[in-house]
Amino acid sequence: MIRRLALLVSIAVAAVALVACTGGTSPSPSARTPLVVGLGFIPSVQFAPFYLAEQEGYYADAGLDVTFQFKIDPDLVTLVGQGSIDIGSADGTSVIPAVSQGIPIRYVATIYGSFPSIVFARASSGIAEAADLEGTKLGIPGRFGSSWIMLQALLGSAGLSPDDLAIVEYPDFGQGAAVAQGAVDAATGFANNEPVQLGLSGEEVVVLHVDDTVALPGPGLIAGTATLDAKGDAIRAFVAQTLRAMREIEADPERGLEAAIAAVPELAEQRDAQLAILEATIGVWSGRVTADEGFGAIDRDGWQASVTFMTDLGLVPNAVTVDALVTDAFLPTE
Amino acid sequence: MIRVSAAAPVGLALVVFVAAWKAIVVVGGYPPFILPPPESVAARFVDAWASGVIGPHAAATLVEIALGFAVGAGLALAVGYLLARSVLAERLLSPYLVAAQATPILALAPLLALWFGPGLTSKVVICALIVFFPVAVATMVGIRSVDARLLELARSLRATRRQIVLTLEIPAALPNILGGMRVGVTLAVVGAIVGEWAGAERGLGVLVNLARGSLFDIPLMFATLVTIALVGVALYLVVVLVERRLVGVR
Repeated sequence: MIRRLALLVSIAVAAVALVACTGGTSPSPSARTPLVVGLGFIPSVQFAPFYLAEQEGYYADAGLDVTFQFKIDPDLVTLVGQGSIDIGSADGTSVIPAVSQGIPIRYVATIYGSFPSIVFARASSGIAEAADLEGTKLGIPGRFGSSWIMLQALLGSAGLSPDDLAIVEYPDFGQGAAVAQGAVDAATGFANNEPVQLGLSGEEVVVLHVDDTVALPGPGLIAGTATLDAKGDAIRAFVAQTLRAMREIEADPERGLEAAIAAVPELAEQRDAQLAILEATIGVWSGRVTADEGFGAIDRDGWQASVTFMTDLGLVPNAVTVDALVTDAFLPTE
Repeated sequence: MIRVSAAAPVGLALVVFVAAWKAIVVVGGYPPFILPPPESVAARFVDAWASGVIGPHAAATLVEIALGFAVGAGLALAVGYLLARSVLAERLLSPYLVAAQATPILALAPLLALWFGPGLTSKVVICALIVFFPVAVATMVGIRSVDARLLELARSLRATRRQIVLTLEIPAALPNILGGMRVGVTLAVVGAIVGEWAGAERGLGVLVNLARGSLFDIPLMFATLVTIALVGVALYLVVVLVERRLVGVR
């Protein structure tokens, strides 16, 4: 009798211990909330925070079952609005016209605190500021998107317009090579890409930023309004873990590089260059607001200025308010 | 009377198409930024033409199509005749012609834009390239189908080479040649749009990208697609009218 009772107690204690041990691990896959995450067109070291968070199990521990999809910005915005993609990385300058056209999305967290689209040139070109672009040949992927908007803002700061220079289009995004070869005097690009590549080739590079002119909103996380209603907690958890990964990569960029290489093995062939791109990317994560309030913080004043600027460009057919564009309700409160 | 009865099926098909489109939107519950309803597209179409948004782009594309078709079809007529009458030419050229046709124009277009620049020339080359094959093949088949006995009769009457070509071979091959041109002219529209996607300041292909990628104006994108389709249909009908005039109703 006593032996039977002892056995039962032992089994009960073991069962309680087993439950306690498993209480701290990830929810079982079937218990996690599925999230489809849309990233940019090509898998890249710039998505290191997402790769790190996924590989380290941050998303799983937060009860999320994350799947990545790679889409170009216009498609991603539309699919997020439709709900086929739960959360995605998209340009702030795409969110404004999209919401103006009735696409139901919200910008929920800033990833790039500074606007990454820039104009760059070889220092030997003599171009040092926006006014120097007058009469030059400038390469651009096309007269659309964030680079086109940025260029108009930058030129406008010097009293210029695109008609004051010769625009050469490179729809295959070869404008970086064009600058290196001297085919154009300057080109649009991203602060964490073309200037870094050109600098690694030994060239001294000049970079013109638009942030001092118009605080255009850089890429961040967007979600559909219906998704925010249905999966708000999951979205909040995803944002928190992504920002956590960003902080860890900022402290240790090599960790981010290793995570990116694990996700995209081809990046290992250009390790040094990819590390340089990642470090430049980390630099662009910081901005006027995120420097004070931390990663993810949304610059409402900048968004308002951008709405005004893009309205003047004719890109906002229906008036929008900042509240209709952004929400900080899904940012970590700590 | 005949014209009205000929137009009736076309009108009916259009009504059915629009009704089906509307039904898909309503039953599927698609939001306007995914699949706008036909009335939104129609309204945007009218508005975009009236406000001058589409017009300049359409004009640029039409110029590319016209020049590209002229160059492509002109070369194709000459090469098609050569392929029909020279076994050596056919053996030498055919592999390269087939390879050029099999290579997707979407993959070639950026290279052509790199070689010929982002201006009109690259669009004309792309259009000509896409028009060339169907017209050349149709010409070759048409010329080869000329009755050998008629050729023999012409030679027995001491007709010159030029007379044989102009009065016998080309008229006999016209149905095939114009059939090839029907295909070619619609492909020229495709070529112009693809050329614009490889780099252009203006054109219906540019407007599609602008509407979708910068403006998120999906009704405008659809209105532009409707314009592209109408351009293709109109050009096809032009070739049909030319065919009826030269060959008669078939």
